Amino acid sequence: MSRLVTIWAVFQGLLLEALPFLLIGVLIAGLARWIAPGGRWLQRLPSQPLLAPLTGAALGFALPACECGNVPVARRLLAGGAPLGSALGFLFAAPVLNPIVLASTWAAFPGQPWLLAARPLAALLLALALSALLQQWPEGQLLEPALLEERRLSQPLAEVGLLERRSGLVGAAPAAPPPPPERPSLTTVLEHSSREFLDLAGLLVLGSALAAVVQTLLPRTWLLAVGGAPTISVLSLMLMAVVVSVCSSVDAFLALGFAAQITPGALLAFLVLGPVVDLKLLGLFGVVLKPRAIALTAAGAFVVVLLIGQWVNLWLL
Amino acid sequence: MGESLAALIRPLALALWGAVLLMSTLTGRLELLLRGVFHPLVGLSGVVLLAIALQQALQGRRERRWNRSWALSGLLAIAVLLVPPNPSFSDLASNRNSDLGSEVELDFLLPPGQRSLTDWVRLLRSQPDPQLYEGDPVRISGFVLTQPDGPPQLGRLLVRCCLADATPIGLPVRWPKGFSAQADQWLAIEGRMGVENEAGQQRSVVLPERIRTIPRPARPLEP
Repeated sequence: MSRLVTIWAVFQGLLLEALPFLLIGVLIAGLARWIAPGGRWLQRLPSQPLLAPLTGAALGFALPACECGNVPVARRLLAGGAPLGSALGFLFAAPVLNPIVLASTWAAFPGQPWLLAARPLAALLLALALSALLQQWPEGQLLEPALLEERRLSQPLAEVGLLERRSGLVGAAPAAPPPPPERPSLTTVLEHSSREFLDLAGLLVLGSALAAVVQTLLPRTWLLAVGGAPTISVLSLMLMAVVVSVCSSVDAFLALGFAAQITPGALLAFLVLGPVVDLKLLGLFGVVLKPRAIALTAAGAFVVVLLIGQWVNLWLL
Repeated sequence: MGESLAALIRPLALALWGAVLLMSTLTGRLELLLRGVFHPLVGLSGVVLLAIALQQALQGRRERRWNRSWALSGLLAIAVLLVPPNPSFSDLASNRNSDLGSEVELDFLLPPGQRSLTDWVRLLRSQPDPQLYEGDPVRISGFVLTQPDGPPQLGRLLVRCCLADATPIGLPVRWPKGFSAQADQWLAIEGRMGVENEAGQQRSVVLPERIRTIPRPARPLEP
């Protein structure tokens, strides 16, 4: 019974800490919709395989939020017709490449300047790799159906067929681009944002509940028992990042607690994998990606982070 | 009634979550869940959600049909409001490793009688020589932290973000004969710092002169 009570408390802790960041993300996405209703600028973002994810990652500096707030903004980028590479680069890199996360990493590890450089670099590398991996699939197999439909409406007809878009007239002359949509009223924007918030909050509840159950029942000492072994320490800290599910804006302070017991590669793996893959995020990703794309993301991230952690251990140990 | 409730489900669910965030901040519940630096953000988010809910109830479009997931989420918000968290600190601690990190630096040192349990633990990590503190007065409070191999200690939980990352710390106590320390019980101890031999090594131990049972403090987590 006391375990149940503890799970309930940990669940509340995770949820109450994440909800404000989710709200910030949803409001920023709403603000973007209000300021640039047609999202034309989104479609002008670069689409080259390397430049696109780099641009997306750089957008992270404009959003001082963690991975929960990131998801609604990435969804808005995709719905507005942003190139896939840019949106994925943002989704995967922005949780680390933003001022708050970099500042908290610096505050937690002032004596380890290598980490301050290695964390954003590794996050960027991971975003590039995941973006390249996911783009091997066509958008139809990658994106969540409702998002895909919304995205088709924002893409020019030259790129999307009528059947794909499910609107327009067969045989009609290629019309001039439609006039830019009018700026929606504040009430409409808030209506849209509040729907998005409630949908995502439901998913966040599921993720937080799962994370609370697993971390209350799984003794953390098991995960840290192998701290000194180069490969296993990386693997165990990756598992810990997935289970603990704390926000990227504070995970460096959590890592500070066990940094002395583990290898540097394992420390970096914890700080790079957690913002991209964790139990709390699994539900949220469902509004952007199809389940098998989420599985591919998790598998790809796992391999890339393991390699990065191993390489750092070879270099520093 | 059902139809009007369905029409207003969105502002209602928003208001409930707003109330959860705001009430948790105002009632001090957050003291048990999150580090203090996040409290204003949570409270402000609650106010924003309530304002959006009010605006949408007055001016937004009504929903045409029930949205079950929003209704469920609203019910869960009610459950969170009605059932406050009451974690077992001992359970949380037994599941975590106890470590303060590699670098423990103390900017300033309080006189012994004013040091909290956390201050003592940090001091003993940075200057572990037990002889330095022998005979110093001790006035601390904490919960009974059971140990897998040995008598219970007096402990506290350190939190860097939320309860999910709580890390236990503890001070050894030489419990008086006949005193039975129950797990999770909160105690205030007054006494002196002593020295004992543990596995061939000297370590500091609290020698209680007075032990009082106290209710869980309003701010049980330490930064």
